[in-house]
This record gives sequence, C-alpha cells and structure tokens, in this order.
Amino acid sequence: MDSTGAVVLLVALVVAGLAAWWLRSRSGAVRTDRAGDDVTRTTDVLRSLGVRPEDADLTVVQFATAFCAPCRATKARLTQLQTSHPGLAAVHVDAESQLEAVRALDVRRTPTLFYLDRAGTVLGRSSGAPRPDELRALVDAHAPAGPAS
Amino acid sequence: MTTPQQSRTSAPQVDVRGPRFGAWVTTVVLAVVLLTGSGWLLAVQAVVFAVGAFAGLRYAPYGLLFRTLVAPRLGPVREREAEAPPRFAQLVGFGFALVGTVGFLAGAPAVGFLATGLALVAALLNAAVGFCLGCELYLLARRARTA
Repeated sequence: MDSTGAVVLLVALVVAGLAAWWLRSRSGAVRTDRAGDDVTRTTDVLRSLGVRPEDADLTVVQFATAFCAPCRATKARLTQLQTSHPGLAAVHVDAESQLEAVRALDVRRTPTLFYLDRAGTVLGRSSGAPRPDELRALVDAHAPAGPAS
Repeated sequence: MTTPQQSRTSAPQVDVRGPRFGAWVTTVVLAVVLLTGSGWLLAVQAVVFAVGAFAGLRYAPYGLLFRTLVAPRLGPVREREAEAPPRFAQLVGFGFALVGTVGFLAGAPAVGFLATGLALVAALLNAAVGFCLGCELYLLARRARTA
C-alpha cells in the first residue's frame, strides 16, 4: 500500500466537497452586476443571433449544447413558465454553432442565460441551471402572469 | 417570438438514476485504484468507460448492473434524460482513465494518481450533486479549439 494514493484520495474528496458547496451556493444565481461588461454590446451581439427583445416583456436567451443536461431541464422549465406568463419569450442558442458570440459574451459554461427587458436592456445573466424560485421571481417581476396585455 | 434553435429532438433517453448509480460505482472503483495503485483495475474502469462512450449507455456495464439489480428494487421510472450528456461524460472519463492507466503501467505512478484523482472528483460530483464536469468543459474545449 502506497500512502501517495491515500493522500490523493483525501485531496480529491476535499476538492469535490468544496466544488459541490460552490455549485450549491453560487451556480445559477442571477448576476446583475458584471463589472466591465458593455451592456449595449451584449444586446447587440444577442440581436445578431436573431433575438428581438421588443417582442416580449422579458426575453430569456439560453446558450446550450447538446451535451448539457441542465440546459434541457432549464428549457423545459422556461416552456412551462411561458404557458402562465404570456409576456415571456425564450430563445435557445446552440452555443457550439455560435462560437463567435460565445467568445464575445464570454460564455464559459452551459447553460448561460441572459435576461432582457422590452427595451433591450440586459437585466442580468446567470451561469448554470437557474434556481427555480429565483427564475420564477424574475419572470413574475418582469413578465407578470396572466393573459397577454 | 424568435424561433428556438433545437437539435436532436428524438435522441435516445435513459432513466436519470442509471448514470447517477454508475457514477457512485465509478467513484468507489477509482478510490480503490488510488488506495491500491493498481493500473490494471484502472484499465478495467477505462474499458467500462469506453463501452459506455463508444457502444452506448445501453451496453454500459454499470448500466446493466443498475437495470438488473437496482432498478427492480426502486419505484417506476419518474424522470428520463437524453443519452448524449452522460454518454459524453463517459468519453471524458475514458480519457482520464486511459492517461492514468498508461501512467501506472509505464512506470509513472504520479501521472496515474493525478489522472485518477481528477476522474474521481468528476465522478463524485456527478454522483453527489448530478453535476457533469465533462459537459461543462465541452464548450470551453470548443471555444479554445477554434480560438
């Protein structure tokens, strides 16, 4: 028995524990304060992908890949929210085929979501599957439930 | 509303509990590899990864174990997911296991321990919180390749 392996095992368990804690506490949180982000440029890049924020009260743009399980869950959640929130629009971008936009927007993980209001203002972005309650609160605030106005 | 870009809609589906169970078994196997320094056990795990990645999850050994021994004791399938993400994860695992196996068997145990440790972190995160490291790295790799 070599003690190197036991040490590596211990380190791996600690790293996994820290990563799990970080994922639980930070991943998916909507950030509204990305310092250095050029918000107008973000909107321009998203528009170049065919996003039309003026068509809905709240437009959620999701960058996804075929190998991203949480992206599928998030898409299903958005589709469900759309049935009760007619002012909500969801756009799903295949990140793999839009690498230029991915780099321009500094998308590193999938899913990464951008939230735009009708004026095209970026309300925030999030990386990792959004927390259901936070997503619902955001949608409730910007695209209230009920029949289309 | 803008038309969503959707790809591969009729892809094969798997019971979500299958890959999670497989990740737990993988975690235990990799822990034993670390404690014993056995390149041959890691080689076996590499073959397990390869079968899942190249032949498909329906042939994956831990998946067979899950379907024959575990699933019958659990309730009915409540949630299914597309096969592509967990299958890609098997490919990433195969890469780490292959490097580690070569390290152990070619007399570079440091490489073996490092690769096995990294694979164990990924497998444990997958098992414990359902996080797929390989899936996340996929976009980074694609970004870098054509940068």
